[in-house]
Amino acid sequence: MTKVFANPVNLLPLILGLLALISYQFLPFVNQPDLGATTISTLTAARANNELGISTNGISLLPIGAFAALLLGLWTFSNPQLGRAASVFSLLAGLLMLEYFALFFLDYLAQGASFIGSMGLGFWLLLILALLLIFQVFLPRSKAGKEFQLRTLLANQESAILMALVFLIVSIGLASPRFLATRNILDILQGNAYIAVAAIGMTMVIITGNIDISVGSLIGLLAVVSGRMVVAGNPIWLSWLMPLLVGALVGALIGFIVAYLKVPSIVVTLGFLSILKGGLIIWTNGERVTNMPDGFYLAQMKFFGISTPILFMIILTILAAIWMRFSPMGRSFYALGGNAEAARLSGFSENLILMQVFILNGIFAGIAAVLYATQLRVIQATPPPGLELAVITAVVVGGVSILGGKGTIIGATLAAILLNTIRSGMVFINVSPFWILAVQGILILVTVLIDLIRRQRQLI
Amino acid sequence: MALDTAKVENTMAKRLRNLLFSQEGILFIILVLVIIVLSGRNANFLSASNLLNQGRLMSEVGLVALPMTYIIITAGIDLSVGSILGLSAILLGVFWKNLGVPLELAIILALIVGTVAGYVNGLFIVRLNVPPLIMTLATLAFYRGLAQGISEAKSVTGYPEWFYIFGQKSVMGLPTQLWFFIIATIISIIILRTTTLGRYLYAIGNNPVGARFSGLPVARTLLVIYSYSGFMAALAAVIFVSRVTTTRSDMGTGLELDVIAAVVLGGTSIFGGKGGIIGTLIGLVLIQLLKNGLALSGVTSDATTIVIGLVLILAILVNNFIQRRRDS
Repeated sequence: MTKVFANPVNLLPLILGLLALISYQFLPFVNQPDLGATTISTLTAARANNELGISTNGISLLPIGAFAALLLGLWTFSNPQLGRAASVFSLLAGLLMLEYFALFFLDYLAQGASFIGSMGLGFWLLLILALLLIFQVFLPRSKAGKEFQLRTLLANQESAILMALVFLIVSIGLASPRFLATRNILDILQGNAYIAVAAIGMTMVIITGNIDISVGSLIGLLAVVSGRMVVAGNPIWLSWLMPLLVGALVGALIGFIVAYLKVPSIVVTLGFLSILKGGLIIWTNGERVTNMPDGFYLAQMKFFGISTPILFMIILTILAAIWMRFSPMGRSFYALGGNAEAARLSGFSENLILMQVFILNGIFAGIAAVLYATQLRVIQATPPPGLELAVITAVVVGGVSILGGKGTIIGATLAAILLNTIRSGMVFINVSPFWILAVQGILILVTVLIDLIRRQRQLI
Repeated sequence: MALDTAKVENTMAKRLRNLLFSQEGILFIILVLVIIVLSGRNANFLSASNLLNQGRLMSEVGLVALPMTYIIITAGIDLSVGSILGLSAILLGVFWKNLGVPLELAIILALIVGTVAGYVNGLFIVRLNVPPLIMTLATLAFYRGLAQGISEAKSVTGYPEWFYIFGQKSVMGLPTQLWFFIIATIISIIILRTTTLGRYLYAIGNNPVGARFSGLPVARTLLVIYSYSGFMAALAAVIFVSRVTTTRSDMGTGLELDVIAAVVLGGTSIFGGKGGIIGTLIGLVLIQLLKNGLALSGVTSDATTIVIGLVLILAILVNNFIQRRRDS
């Protein structure tokens, strides 16, 4: 801790990020969250009605960059040696913020409007802060941080995905500023949140060297469980809780067959894929669930101005990441996946670990199912097609080794966000929707290849 | 003399017992039981026309299941077969209709495309050491994406009459595609059992590092079987298009799961090194007859899905149990 304060340069991202977030609150448009995807013409119309004082193209870059800088500042507290890496990342955050100003002045030049005078103090402060975030990288720093080289930025999959995300956001934003509207960015985060939540459980399963291909069917089933419960008149909290319980039960059953009856997990879950899918369709007769009471739609609610799926995704990711890193149970998952024989000889109970990991996976599938069930007014009677592949893809792109023992929760969540950013971004740069899957396939391959090449280099 | 006969009988009994309690043996017994139960419930079930029709329906999954058995024996997996099928089918239609290539040539081109798609899988797996599950997961999306992008969700129809011979007609009393399947099965069995290539597959599956250090051509073997998988998926595509008389980009979606279920049910270990074509064949027939027999007895197809899932897990369980009893 003292080391961090010994070099005040390390605190710069934290301070600048905090200041930027505060200044952002003083921008005139911030109190108009429903503005959404704004083009220059609606903007000038709004200007004529004197509703706005500012161009909102790409506006969400400001809080994103500020928040990133803030987190990076906090990051250095865990290890002062990260100071150099944090400052380079903060440079990127600064560039991200600066992009908004570039877009703004382009708009300004194109319109020749006079709205630059009414920008307010926050606008200019943010511009200065963005420039400071960029120039802080040139400040001298302590010896400990100097060993850092740029290539270490790509040293793990998490930072590689972060860089890819920044690159995508900036480049698609330059091509189509509407992509950066706050509403669109929130849509991207929200749309894949339940996949990210399911990916947390899947990450744990894959880290132990197993796999679950039934998770899509399970989520479909649990969503209907939740909907039918509430339609039958049960209390809403119970309907939200029941999928978690049923998910844990199904997980326990899968875990039992894998652990005690020694059937490979890919075979068991292939069987469960059929059983759950068939069971769901017979049970529902193919009928969708509708007419849920108003208070049921958890995914449409907001807490502190943030919609619940995003909140769940972020909080669960952070909790699970800390838990996997520091709890004995989390470490035992890595131990089993890294070297099952060594784990057994060290006194871990393999069977117990397998039961635990599949039960946890079932619970996360339950949470994902509630988020999925409550995001629309109807719940489909068939599981979303290809959902299990979407979840597994997020985990694999996130750098979790399919052979077990390696990978992190944060990587999987970032990958889920990245995949949805790609999907949404391609719509904005006018890629024909028919080609989206192909581009996605290539990108999956590229990220996986980067991960592999890096690992092979580290081995040498 | 008497001693000799006793000895022979003894070894015969032993071999019979081994055969009976192998995974194939157990599966075969299950298959016979299923046939007895189902035929008791519906007289039509065992009729020749019904069985031939089931053979017709089974052939597409069956053709792809043969190379999949090889791949799983080497401890690999190929998730992209359904997408390769879709891509080959789309290109068959596009070559013929949009580019004006003669249909005979279009069929050959589609087969080449499928083989190349499989070869690309193999190339990445061999040269860059990408785990097969991940490589084929990526191409599952990529090949399907290509099919969607090229076709733009338009279907191709209006094939000439002679083309339907692959999917709808019969040759010498058997459905055409069943001939393809039978011939491919026989060749696959012979290759696996009698050639060095077949032995390599088991060696690679049992111990890939050991196989490489023993000087086996691991890379070339894997390239061959992944290309074989792509080729068979393309062949299945041609038959599929001929059977349903139209080409769509979503053809073969989910095929990989059906194929893997049949192979695993047939006793090929997902960890590699164990299994064979005969088991896969029984697995295929068992699944197809269960589907058909239960449908004839008035069970819905969704309930059949459950039964197949249960049979898959139970068959592996029973086998595990018996193998452990034998070992101890």
